Amino acid sequence: MQTNPLQQAITYLLTKMADDALILGHRNSEWTGLGPIMEEDIAFSSMAQDKIGHALGLYSILHETYHAPDPDQYAFLREEKDYLCCHLVELPIGEYDFSLMRHFLFDHADALRYEFMEKSSLEALRPLSKKLKGEIKYHTLHANAWLTQLCSAGDESYARMQSALDYCFPLALGMFERREEMEDRLMDEKIYPGEEQLKEAWLERIYPILVKSSLNLPDPVNTSPINGGRHGYHTQHLQPLLNEMSAVFRLDPTAKW
Amino acid sequence: MYGGGYIFDEPNRRQLKDEQQHDDPEKLLEFEARITSGAKIEPGDWMPVEYRRQLTRLIEQHAHSEVMGALPEGTWITRAPGFKRKLALIAKVQDEVGHGQLLYNAAETLGKRRETMINDLLSGKSKYSNVFNYPAETWADVTVIGFLIDAAAIVNQVANAKGSYGPYCRALERICYEESFHLKQGHDAFIELATGTKMQRDMVQDALNRWWQPIMHFFGPPDKNSVHSEKLMQWKVKMASNDDMRNQFLDAYVPKIWELGMTLPDANLQKNSEGRWGYSDPDWDLFFKVINGDGPCNSERIKVRKWAEESGRWVRQALMNSANAKVLPVA
Amino acid sequence: MENNSLDPRVNRLHLSDAASLVIVNDGENWNVYEVFHQEKRGAHHEHVGCVHAPSPQLALVFAKEQFGRRKKCVNIWVVRSVDILAFEVEDEDMFANNLDKTYRDASGFKVMEKINKYKAQQREEK
Repeated sequence: MQTNPLQQAITYLLTKMADDALILGHRNSEWTGLGPIMEEDIAFSSMAQDKIGHALGLYSILHETYHAPDPDQYAFLREEKDYLCCHLVELPIGEYDFSLMRHFLFDHADALRYEFMEKSSLEALRPLSKKLKGEIKYHTLHANAWLTQLCSAGDESYARMQSALDYCFPLALGMFERREEMEDRLMDEKIYPGEEQLKEAWLERIYPILVKSSLNLPDPVNTSPINGGRHGYHTQHLQPLLNEMSAVFRLDPTAKW
Repeated sequence: MYGGGYIFDEPNRRQLKDEQQHDDPEKLLEFEARITSGAKIEPGDWMPVEYRRQLTRLIEQHAHSEVMGALPEGTWITRAPGFKRKLALIAKVQDEVGHGQLLYNAAETLGKRRETMINDLLSGKSKYSNVFNYPAETWADVTVIGFLIDAAAIVNQVANAKGSYGPYCRALERICYEESFHLKQGHDAFIELATGTKMQRDMVQDALNRWWQPIMHFFGPPDKNSVHSEKLMQWKVKMASNDDMRNQFLDAYVPKIWELGMTLPDANLQKNSEGRWGYSDPDWDLFFKVINGDGPCNSERIKVRKWAEESGRWVRQALMNSANAKVLPVA
Repeated sequence: MENNSLDPRVNRLHLSDAASLVIVNDGENWNVYEVFHQEKRGAHHEHVGCVHAPSPQLALVFAKEQFGRRKKCVNIWVVRSVDILAFEVEDEDMFANNLDKTYRDASGFKVMEKINKYKAQQREEK
């Protein structure tokens, strides 16, 4: 569907962002009805819905401007290898400490991606990032509140959050996995600042909150990122989820549901 | 989403008498006069012991039904087809949790804490609507639940919203508003299948066949079998009879099913010349069997609820502090 | 891992026995906060319900989604329920005569009647 190299690069960028949001939105929606307390159940569910909505927004740009199939087809009926989400978002919900930490690490990066998109030379990206700003602000506010409170609420919850951070960190670095041939084109055109710059900005953003929470950030230089997702290599958890997501659709892909 | 007409227990007559003897007769008269005049009762008001007990029971079971109601439909969250259906379903299930939250708050104003209510749900002491003990086997089940169970719930809740207890009425006002979205999205998804391919129509017909009996059970046993206290009607705790609500539901929704060429598995279902619906009596022994824990999904529902409470415990306990002692909502 | 549930989410959980004893301790659902929302700038904040939360900050975070996820809303207040001071319900009678005190109300002053009476008088005198 892509024609020229620049369009290919833009499709790559929007697809990876959308796939991250789609898959994490699905994962987080699994907590709906099962959260640790009703009020948080509701809040977490809203953010899961937002994520899925963000994915839809991005797929819609792809469809309307870059000749991708319609969002339902594109989101739910691709082959596993054509998904570009990172491994962090693929993992099952685990315990709440993991889900919260993933939410914290992911959403700060997400907030930055949209901030950069607002300044992108590519007109098509700006309205969406502007529109989503308030939603994402709530997501990071929510994540920060939980992180700081749980970390100052006694040994058990502090230890849980620290080990969740240790576990998530290499996976989170995988969010910034590069595909140079794509990125260079986007950077040349000032559409996107590139993953390296994004990662630096992200570390700067999360660091003060981690300090406030007395959490120790693993050394970013000596941690090997868990990569693969941006090249279409995924964890064992993605395919079963994709099967679920498309289960009803595939009963009859030509029918309206 | 879901009340249900059957949830009033018949009080032990001697106990009721004893309790009512403790009610100050003068205050009781004043209380009843207030209700007759159409005024609402608020949390700090004097109220008969039996009023408080039955109302707590009613609102609490309604709350439990919301929380448990999130589970059968939750089954299809990851599988809902396409963005529109998916977002609507998650938002709907989220609303059920939200309704549970509002209702527990309303019940708490009567003096029973949320923790105690949750414990009574987990231990089986407190009941919830029977329909949630049935499985949602296919996507079509989700559309039937969203359309017809929510429609039934609305009949019930609109009636209850005219009741006498202020906090419950306020919660129901918001709940009914949100239910109208549930019904609409359910009806829309139902119509999509019913007007779709042969396979889709077969799916939705199959779901209708399986859900019809639980839906007929929804409003509770026939009036002739349930000696629901006249007092509860007078006190505006129970707002309509089970049969009346069932009739109202059939009257509004059976035509909406038939107009799409779908059938219902009851040859005796028809409206008589006086405008009342006739139907075959559903199996009421089965109804009581399911209430008492023997339905197809009772055990899974409770297990999942226990998992949720158990796995969230560290979060709740970490942030507990002594200032949390014995606080109840104001209104 | 397999729970034989129709719900794939549930099949991913480690469920224990239905008969196992699970008890939520008193206080585990935290404190209670009353919630007030403001529908638009310039409007009063109105009471809409309450949330259970461990701190004012999380109460606000929760209130935003439980009471501000639909319809218009621009701001939310939360306040601990115990900090609300209200009259006893039986003190309602203190307000009972409000409507009788017409000297506090515009309707208690019949200006036009007086003017019309005066004008009528003037006409008669002419």
